Amino acid sequence: AGVLAAHKITASSPDTDLPTVSRLRKMGVNFTVSNKDTVKSSDVLFLAVKPPIIPFILDEVGPDIEARHIVVSCAAGVTISSIEKKLSAFCPTPKVIRCMTNTPVIVREGATVYATGTHADVEDGKLLEQLMASVGFCTEVEEDLIDAVTGLSGSGPAYAFTALDALADGGVKMGLPRRLAVRLGAQALLGAAKMLLESEQHPGQLKDNVCSPGGATIHALHFLESGGFRSLLINAVEASCIRTRELQHLADKEKISPAAIKKTLLDKVKMESPLSLASTSKVSLFSSKS
Amino acid sequence: EAEELRVGFVGAGRMAGGLVRGLLRAGKVPASSILASAPSDRNLDAWRDLGCRTTHCNLEVLQDCALVFLATKPHVLPGVLQEIRPAVGPHHLVVSLVAGVTLQKLQRLLPAGTKVLRLMPNLPCVVQAGAMVFSRGTGASDEDAALLQTLLSSCGLCEEVPESYINIHTGLSGSGVAYVYLFAEALAEGAVKMGMPGGLASRIAAQTLLGAAKMMLETGEHPAKLRGDVCTPGGTTIHALHQLEKGALRATVMNAVEAATKRACDVGED
Repeated sequence: AGVLAAHKITASSPDTDLPTVSRLRKMGVNFTVSNKDTVKSSDVLFLAVKPPIIPFILDEVGPDIEARHIVVSCAAGVTISSIEKKLSAFCPTPKVIRCMTNTPVIVREGATVYATGTHADVEDGKLLEQLMASVGFCTEVEEDLIDAVTGLSGSGPAYAFTALDALADGGVKMGLPRRLAVRLGAQALLGAAKMLLESEQHPGQLKDNVCSPGGATIHALHFLESGGFRSLLINAVEASCIRTRELQHLADKEKISPAAIKKTLLDKVKMESPLSLASTSKVSLFSSKS
Repeated sequence: EAEELRVGFVGAGRMAGGLVRGLLRAGKVPASSILASAPSDRNLDAWRDLGCRTTHCNLEVLQDCALVFLATKPHVLPGVLQEIRPAVGPHHLVVSLVAGVTLQKLQRLLPAGTKVLRLMPNLPCVVQAGAMVFSRGTGASDEDAALLQTLLSSCGLCEEVPESYINIHTGLSGSGVAYVYLFAEALAEGAVKMGMPGGLASRIAAQTLLGAAKMMLETGEHPAKLRGDVCTPGGTTIHALHQLEKGALRATVMNAVEAATKRACDVGED
């Protein structure tokens, strides 16, 4: 998005062999294995580790947090108060912002919400908003809505990918080559979403506008309704939101020991490869490669 | 003019009865201007109670009235048309309420050039809240259509449509009234389950439907938007709607309209 120069970004990870690491380096991002170095060279600090690891990271970098730092956590289910509690052992008024975004930030069409903590000023929130708005939609919300946001737009791209896969199958079944089917399906959803965002009209009205009487579309919609399409989507958002809350409870309990974390981390990192560092690029402000 | 217009009904069953009650309540036509014929007195007693004139002779209705509603059962109609044909003239407006009988068939059995229209009302015409569609045959002019529309608008919504919509109207609104009664009953039953007395629940259910329908008609807003307006985040309504969606209510209703429409088409072809 061109909002930030790569050399102003520092990222850290224990494992340097990950493909994401080399990609970041190629972009000109400063890379270090020391979390502490990252903290020292940053004003805005994105915590992009897995939720269970957050408490341990906070313990590690806590002493280096200064008044200027804005600590932004993107960890699902980790509350502002839990972060503030940890950091207040080291810094009297830590600035904490909690944020929830989604993968399409990569193509600058992300959906991001944030909630500001006790000591974060309006300007701090606005700074984050400015950064995240460069990669999509960004707005402030009350913290208690973040779980619902996770269910809707956090997980949302997965629902869309599933739908697109199935739509493509439908196309293939009716004779289209797969590549073309995928391309057309994606464009249809993209176009529909754009129409909705640019229109004052209710999606129900936009739907009606596509359904000529007795035509193909209304026949198809009847099938969707018969299958309980709408309720499935409602169920999905609900399930994701509820699970997020469960994860939050687990995180609050801090059940995992530091030694187990280290072992788990390395194992996970080897198995799941880009995931833990991908969370850095998930909220990265790096423009996409172009 | 409508005041001097004499309105006749050949056949005096439920549909005709609903229409005449609506017209009388609306004050559009005095009872004395209305003549109804039927083979027996069974239905006609009620018409006389309303102040209408009655007869057992179908021909008399054609001789007396300019606007004639045909409201017989489908299988009886051809015979009736044969009977009245000699008395049908160019001044008559013949409006058929008979389910499944096409304009083409009507025109074939009546003198060439007769002004024929086909009407599908629904029962709430009785309380001036009917939904009616009509289509005109080749002999009927704009003025004829306008006359009918003005007269019937006193009983509710009345619109001219292509003939192919008439069966759909049956599925949507003719039968649709019954779907609403079913829904109202279920709403009330839910309330009774939660502890409300049945009579009260029923009245509130009806008023809820009435109010919602009125808002749709008066605001002209899309029902999806109106629905959204009622749903506070995380509130009672959205929880309930989720239940309805889980039960695929929308698809079921679509199925109902489709089934009734198809049945209307099938019956028409018999």
